[in-house]
Amino acid sequence: MTSTMPDTTAAAPTPKSPGRRTDLRSRGEPALWGLGGALAIGVTMILGFLALVLANGIATFIPKPITVVTEIGGTVTAGEPFRSEVFKPTPDVIAALSPEWQARIDAADGFARRTLYRVGNFDLYGEDFRWIPDYAVATFAQPKSLMFVERMEWGPFVGTVKGFKLDGADQIFTGLDDPKFAKIHDESRARAREIRTIERSRISDINHTLESARLELRKIEMQSGRSSSAYAAAEAGLTSRSTALQREYDTLAAEVQKLREANATNTLTLADIGGREKLIEFSALVRLYPANDMNFVQKLRVYFLRWGEFLTGEPREANTEGGVFPAIFGTAAMTLLMVIVVAPFGVITALYLREYAKQGRLVSFVRISVNNLAGVPSIVYGVFGLGFFAYVLGGSIDALFYPERLPNPTFGTGGLLWSALTLALLTVPVVIVATEEALAAVPRSMREGSLASGASKWQTIRYIVLPRAMPGIMTGVILAMARGAGEVAPLMLVGVVKLAPELPIDGIFPFVHLERSFMHLGFHIFDVGFQSRNAEAGKPMVFVTTVLLIGLVTIINATAIIMRNRLKKRFAGSQF
Amino acid sequence: MTTPAESSGESGAPREGTPRPRRSMKTATSVLVADKVADWTIRIGGLGVIAAVFGIMLFLTLVVVPLFTGASVEGAGTSANSAVAGRPLMDVIDEYKTVSVSIDETGAVHAFHIRTGRPLEVPAFELGLKEAGGKTLTAFARTLSGRDIAFGFSDGTLRLATIKVGGAVINTSDVPADLARLTDEDATDGKSIYTTVSGDQTRRISIEIAMGIEQQVAAPGVAIVAADYRLGGAAERPTISFVTVDANGVGRLSRSESKTNMMTGAATTTMTASELPGLPPGVRVRNVLMTDKADQVYVVDAGGVAYRYDTRAFDAPVLAETIGLLEGDVTIGAIGFLIGEQSLVVAGSDGSVGVYFRLQDGATRNTDGYVMTRAHALIPHAAPVVAMDASQRGKMFVTADAAGEIWLRHSTSEQVLLKLKPETGTNGAAPAYRAVALAPRENGVLAVAADGKVFAWDISAPHPETTLGTIFGKVWYEGYPAPGFTWQSSSGTDAFEPKFSLVPLIFGTLKATVYSLLFAIPIAIGAAIYTSEFIHPRIRAVIKPTMELMASLPSVVLGFIAALILAPIVETWIAAIVFAFVVIPAGLFFSAYLWQLLPAPLAQRYGGLAKFAAIFAVLAVFGAAAFLAAPAFEAAFFAGDFKSWANGDVGSSVPFTALVLVPFAYLAVFLGTKGFVTRRLGAILRGEDRTTAGLADFASWVVMLLAAAAISTAVASLLVAIGADPRGGVVDTYVQRNTLVVGFAMGFAVIPIIYTIAEDALNTVPEHLRAASLACGATPWQTAVRVIVPTAMSGIFSAIMVGMGRAVGETMIVVMAAGNTPLMEWNIFNGLRALSANIAVELPEAVRDSTLYRMLFLAALTLFVVTFVVNTLAEIVRQRFRKRTAQL
Repeated sequence: MTSTMPDTTAAAPTPKSPGRRTDLRSRGEPALWGLGGALAIGVTMILGFLALVLANGIATFIPKPITVVTEIGGTVTAGEPFRSEVFKPTPDVIAALSPEWQARIDAADGFARRTLYRVGNFDLYGEDFRWIPDYAVATFAQPKSLMFVERMEWGPFVGTVKGFKLDGADQIFTGLDDPKFAKIHDESRARAREIRTIERSRISDINHTLESARLELRKIEMQSGRSSSAYAAAEAGLTSRSTALQREYDTLAAEVQKLREANATNTLTLADIGGREKLIEFSALVRLYPANDMNFVQKLRVYFLRWGEFLTGEPREANTEGGVFPAIFGTAAMTLLMVIVVAPFGVITALYLREYAKQGRLVSFVRISVNNLAGVPSIVYGVFGLGFFAYVLGGSIDALFYPERLPNPTFGTGGLLWSALTLALLTVPVVIVATEEALAAVPRSMREGSLASGASKWQTIRYIVLPRAMPGIMTGVILAMARGAGEVAPLMLVGVVKLAPELPIDGIFPFVHLERSFMHLGFHIFDVGFQSRNAEAGKPMVFVTTVLLIGLVTIINATAIIMRNRLKKRFAGSQF
Repeated sequence: MTTPAESSGESGAPREGTPRPRRSMKTATSVLVADKVADWTIRIGGLGVIAAVFGIMLFLTLVVVPLFTGASVEGAGTSANSAVAGRPLMDVIDEYKTVSVSIDETGAVHAFHIRTGRPLEVPAFELGLKEAGGKTLTAFARTLSGRDIAFGFSDGTLRLATIKVGGAVINTSDVPADLARLTDEDATDGKSIYTTVSGDQTRRISIEIAMGIEQQVAAPGVAIVAADYRLGGAAERPTISFVTVDANGVGRLSRSESKTNMMTGAATTTMTASELPGLPPGVRVRNVLMTDKADQVYVVDAGGVAYRYDTRAFDAPVLAETIGLLEGDVTIGAIGFLIGEQSLVVAGSDGSVGVYFRLQDGATRNTDGYVMTRAHALIPHAAPVVAMDASQRGKMFVTADAAGEIWLRHSTSEQVLLKLKPETGTNGAAPAYRAVALAPRENGVLAVAADGKVFAWDISAPHPETTLGTIFGKVWYEGYPAPGFTWQSSSGTDAFEPKFSLVPLIFGTLKATVYSLLFAIPIAIGAAIYTSEFIHPRIRAVIKPTMELMASLPSVVLGFIAALILAPIVETWIAAIVFAFVVIPAGLFFSAYLWQLLPAPLAQRYGGLAKFAAIFAVLAVFGAAAFLAAPAFEAAFFAGDFKSWANGDVGSSVPFTALVLVPFAYLAVFLGTKGFVTRRLGAILRGEDRTTAGLADFASWVVMLLAAAAISTAVASLLVAIGADPRGGVVDTYVQRNTLVVGFAMGFAVIPIIYTIAEDALNTVPEHLRAASLACGATPWQTAVRVIVPTAMSGIFSAIMVGMGRAVGETMIVVMAAGNTPLMEWNIFNGLRALSANIAVELPEAVRDSTLYRMLFLAALTLFVVTFVVNTLAEIVRQRFRKRTAQL
């Protein structure tokens, strides 16, 4: 510093006529523009990114018109225009084109435009999407009769409705406003839901009871051996119980079978643009709409229905369709569990460092280290979580409390608890640092006043220090939540799965299943974007999930920032 | 905020000091208890959390340490029971290390329970040696597992045989009743061993032998001195390939192929036979070895000369190579294949142990283009090597020497894991080993001495393939042309050897970090300086949180956008993007010079938000220009096709190199002319009005830029002429998921961190320094460059360090956008595999406590240590900076 100071003064121009000073070099205008450009690039990056994600995410659920493209060769394709791009056709493709097109492509430096159509009908075509280059197109049309049909399986169907059957009897399709049509659809869907309820809850209850009885038996076997009387009694108990359960199961299975049969008589016949027919049950029909014949209100209705399904439904078709409710639930459960762990421990540690520990070299070393742990890559915490929590701790828990289930791990593999603990470890530095700052901001005079009035150390902390530091602590905890909610890498190692059959909280005792693996919004993005059958089909879903995740993290962060700013304002007055 | 009065209601403890009139001076016990409890809870909790946090490093280290501990003896020296009568030919151990089976020269099979030495009854191979004047056993061959064996006789006949030491799991209820108990788990009926596995399951280990028919291979009466054979082919058409050398030095190669007709069920056997050419007459053949697929045959004489035959064409074998495997007068002590049967271990009578494999060599005159190469010269024994056995799992093997030492070695890592020597007392002679055996699970070693004594050790060598040298140094893997750094953790075949070098992964991390920082640092630091010094605080209050918002984007989102949206766009528009890197900075400078043309009052009036808006506009305009002019640019610089150009197929490197050099050349021109031209020009301009001065400045810029372009073109031509071509280095074959995309996406993660910390540092420079500088007449620019930035330098440095820490550990972006190829090249248009991504991809599949598992922990530990050190450095620098600014 000292060396630059004289230099600065020496370089400062000494104007002879103040009005005519034009020492442009000293203003550094080009460099300024460079710096400004850097800032502008940064701002553009973030705004562009958000715009891209939001535009794609929000537009995903808008019902789009279906275009029927007739190619020059005669091929007819019907589909939603998905996106278009320019590409370079190969020379032999160009050579086969009409001179007019050749000239146009030549004028565009060898580029042509093509459009990706979402043609659906995966069960008929074996593909969801089809590229059609502009030069191949003969005519476009948007016939009003075309329907966009969302199904439970095979992705969407694009085509027309040929007719439908009500209880096995053929009906003529007059339009979607036919009350009969809506009625069958509702009834079939209700039956499908009932089947699901029976299978998912009642039959699974039976399986669960049976499984726990079996494990109980195994436990007795391990404790007192096969030849003991306790074992014989338990075995007899299990046999009688399993026959009873089997009977119950048979009843339920018959019930399901009846519902299935009822559903099989209510079918819808669809035809694709080429006339190929496809029979689907009403129960497998999510919704259908005439994409080219809708007014704004109808479109809005479909749009919001889709959002509703997305937020509350379960995923289908390898997560590329349906909803993300289990992922939202898993993210929320994991983050809350993490906060429950991280908040008290973070605050206690900060209290220790700030109020109890003797301030010295050691504590400042610990402080630096804790601070730096926030910069340690999250994947390292994931490795530790897997190795220590899941394998060492979980393995010990299994050996002690669940020996009857081995070698199948209970806690000895990734799960909700270990994920939450791993992320707690990851975020505890954030809370410690924030709490320490908040504690440091409480004026010393207040502590001294309290102690002087005869309060004990804990009373001082409890009634004087903590209440004043609370907003700062809350900010830290919220920031930790935001970090935790957005992390994916460590979770990939300690318990996140692409599809969890059961939620971590349900109606089976003990209601909160900390050992279960769970779904997570961030991992959902990774999984659908990278590991699904068709990355293109999953993309819209990923964008919507992304909007959801960014929205969640931003809301949490914004809360923290607003809190911090209010806190700053409150203390700002006292400092100057 | 809760007031003390409110919050007291929640606490269970009665509030002290409320009764005003008569106050007890004694503190209530409850308060003291609460205080003590809190005291201890906080102390224990606080210390606990701190300990837990530091425990991470300890735990990672504990997991990693076994990688470097070699092997250990778990239980030594049982037996010494002379269970083996005759001179043993070989010894095998079963999968579960329960029994040892050896065959002696009479064909007798000796089996015994290893733990107790209890012999088992096994039928002998009826070799027909007992008749008077009959044939004698002259050759013996075995496969690596010891399951398939062959006997060669003095009358020129050969017999194939199998010996199966098998374990079958049966129900405990099926175990025969009257068993003699050997140990707690093991019992025997004299023929088999029964081991209790769990409550209701028992494993039976029994030995079955079978013998094939006698085949006349050599001329009648001419002894077979060496033989080897391999089974191959599909299950429905098995082949037997064998090679023999007889006493006359004639080598014969035969293959029989059995075909079963699907319709009739009749089996037909076809024989292919040929003679090995070129064996010198009178050669004393010691061994003949055949590879797994029977495509190579090695005939080795006692002096270590190997004749390598290419037997891919079985009816016409070719002598491909003759090579001396040993030096000088040394004779072969032991020779054998390692698993995969590509590597040949050659141990000499001088104690030397070498590992050979064949390598493709363009320069060789050998007919098949391969050369036998001694890839590993291992630490020699002090005494002649007498026996060896190779592992059935990896590249581990044991060698036994005449001095009674048995060394457990690993070929690839070249380390001696363990040296075993039986206790023979003070004056006991060293045992003369005839055969050694390594247990199939690499957990035991057994040696049979000539006198029938048996020595057994339980060993543990979980990670023989890793040493510090193999992880961080170059390793010569089987079949690789030279030692190198390789990461390849899994493959389909059993014989595959995992290759664990962290170097390509560290390189990948480094590459991602370097390229992303190259992109992020200028933007982040530039933006920080501009935000802190040149824009109005009210705009800053909006801009800063916006930039910080970038930090909160989950990295999985960045990775997704980068890999699935950005990568295809970048691939299509690569020329435009490369062009934008040139056009946008140039455009910004150009606009700055235009701005200087504005009359002073106007420049003053619009110097704030309007100028910043203008910068955005310039960005948009020149960005668009880059895209519009991209085809022309591509044609001029990259011969019309960027990808083929990058590949090195078309065009010249000169224009691109020149383009890269322009900034440096400009800097050189600027510095070179600063003293003379600038001052002279400045003195002249000072007297003129702003517009004129601006024009002159503009002109001087253009002239300097042209000069820079000329210089850089000249330098580029020179560089390319002397062979310094960027292609093949930082620019090479284009891959869709590449470092350019990663660097850009990583920018989103790194820029906000560097930006925030650097901006904070610039902001904490005391206001009086700024005021003093401005008051002395310095312009804001001069103040920023000469006062503020130097003062905040350490803070900016620590910002860069923290940003680097983030880039090093970033996982999801690299997993998704980097292609995950463990390459070692700086090519910006190719992918990489970073440490973090590698962990995320491979750890979910890694078996607990396997070498891969521990290697991935080592990767994590490396990341931990690197980021911890980087961050600590940054923190120390930052604290010094704080102290210094406080003093100012």
